[in-house]
Amino acid sequence: MTKPLNPFILADGTKPSCMEMLQLILDGEATAEQQVYFKAHMDHCLPCFKSYDLDTTIKELLKTRCCGDSVPNELVDQIKTQISKNLAL
Amino acid sequence: MEEAPKQSYSDQEKNDIFNNEFLPHIKSMYNFGFRLTFDQDDAKDLVQDTYLKAYRFIESFQKGTNAKAWLFRILKNSFINDYRKKTKEPSKVDYQEVETYYNSEDVDRQITPDLRVESLKDMIGDEISNALNSLDVDFRTVIILCDLEGFKYEEMAKILDIPIGTVRSRLHRARNLLKEKLSEYAKSMGYKNTEL
Repeated sequence: MTKPLNPFILADGTKPSCMEMLQLILDGEATAEQQVYFKAHMDHCLPCFKSYDLDTTIKELLKTRCCGDSVPNELVDQIKTQISKNLAL
Repeated sequence: MEEAPKQSYSDQEKNDIFNNEFLPHIKSMYNFGFRLTFDQDDAKDLVQDTYLKAYRFIESFQKGTNAKAWLFRILKNSFINDYRKKTKEPSKVDYQEVETYYNSEDVDRQITPDLRVESLKDMIGDEISNALNSLDVDFRTVIILCDLEGFKYEEMAKILDIPIGTVRSRLHRARNLLKEKLSEYAKSMGYKNTEL
């Protein structure tokens, strides 16, 4: 059986590393074909298998833990007031 | 950022765009401002300045296009041109070093083989946020744009005025640095045998 062609290979023939492939998958930048290839690749590449879980967890944690700062209540009003003042000038 | 021809809007249209397309992003904008400056007042000033500029140049914005990316680019530029100059915070990143690193053969070296999912999930305090904040501003920025705000590489390239290849290499380096930091936290929490 012939090995499926790696759809991550660049036009100039450069073969991306595991971490480069993983990054595209993780960030939703991979094509459907690349996703299928990577899923199969992960079954026999332990570093990718481990990193996938770890990197996905970090990405999720960043999103849930670092987006919670609330906006000071007065900020929107201050912006609107400032714009009205500038318009009146 | 969208190189659209200059638009012509009535006052009503300007207000509609401002209220419906710009203001809904204020939480993300404030978070970005705060994570760049680490100061609530400076973050407020940056966000206010960004929205005033957005209104002033609203005719450079094409209705219905990516307002969030457009606003982020203004904020980033204000931060670099105004805030950073004012505080004289030098850029600490040596981009040559970044590119050299990325092109080196050990780029796939597992810097943090000892970091595991379980220890990350036990970090219930501010560890994740502190680890992000510990990164130099250019690395912090790509993580914020990609992982917190969900921008695509192409959008990030436009916001930051850098090629997509640089977005990718900077993200890669930023994530490795973040993992190193998280690994330090994990060790201090007592995780020793760290194989998955």
